[in-house]
Amino acid sequence: MLEWLEYTSLSIWVAESIWGYPIMLSLHIIGLAVVVGIFTVYNFRLLGLFNSLEFEPFLDFFRLAWFGLLVNFVSGFTLFSSQATFYVTNIPFLVKIFSIIAGSLLAFKIQLRLQSSVNAWDERTAQPNKKDHSFAVISLALWTSAIFGGRLIAYL
Amino acid sequence: MTEILIRTIEGSTLNSWILTTTWLWPFLEIIHFIGLSLLLGSMLVIDIRLAGYIRNMSIMRTHDLLPMAAIGFFINMVTGLLFLMGDPARYLINIGFQIKMALILMAGLNALLFALRIKPIMTQWDPCGDTNTEAKLIAYISLILWFSVLLLGRLIPYVGTG
Repeated sequence: MLEWLEYTSLSIWVAESIWGYPIMLSLHIIGLAVVVGIFTVYNFRLLGLFNSLEFEPFLDFFRLAWFGLLVNFVSGFTLFSSQATFYVTNIPFLVKIFSIIAGSLLAFKIQLRLQSSVNAWDERTAQPNKKDHSFAVISLALWTSAIFGGRLIAYL
Repeated sequence: MTEILIRTIEGSTLNSWILTTTWLWPFLEIIHFIGLSLLLGSMLVIDIRLAGYIRNMSIMRTHDLLPMAAIGFFINMVTGLLFLMGDPARYLINIGFQIKMALILMAGLNALLFALRIKPIMTQWDPCGDTNTEAKLIAYISLILWFSVLLLGRLIPYVGTG
């Protein structure tokens, strides 16, 4: 199946045209900046940094981050399909994919907690608790590990 | 001129240290990626609000994120300088790198424009209201410049060398 994937017209375009690969890489780096950037700002906020920022607007920024994730899922899939058989046995790639899946599920969980607590947090009748803090730390660690894995694909 | 500079850097101890230290280069790249996430993430929030969107976030408060942007920029300036010191022949003659540096300079000037023209009057605005045209222009220019910097950096290996 992976070999079939490598021979679809999209993957051949990405692998062999002059601009296919760089275009997908460009989309992928934009998505990375949006996803990791926004989740990082929010995780810092959960941990008590930038204390003056309200929580409610982050619901909108989360939407932007999910859009960035979609961009990276699509661009990442085309990059993957151009060399599918190489990637599936590449350890950094597997670390990256695991980190992204775990990071996305956790981000969803973090968003649910934001949705249920947003009013109390913004009225300052409650503050993010220990659990929110641990989620923020794990989330930061997962996105960092995704970057580590992604970059090391080129080296290992 | 460029050649003399390249040869001087290539003869330096810093250059050979960067090139001979195992795993240093990929490690610096990873740090560079983390730095760009800090910089772009905070600028995204600041500029989107400055452009007049997501108005339920008070405009003054988004600017508390500036230290995060500054730290991200500093991390990437240091790691970027080390790339330059490690492989000057690759970067100095690369058109993508040259344009990237010019755009960073323009982003700096744009930030200066913000500090001079918008920051002093921002306090008088409704914290959850619209911004003025000049502020919006500065915000869009900032977003375009930083994302172009991001793209050019990624495309350095793929664009022509002068």
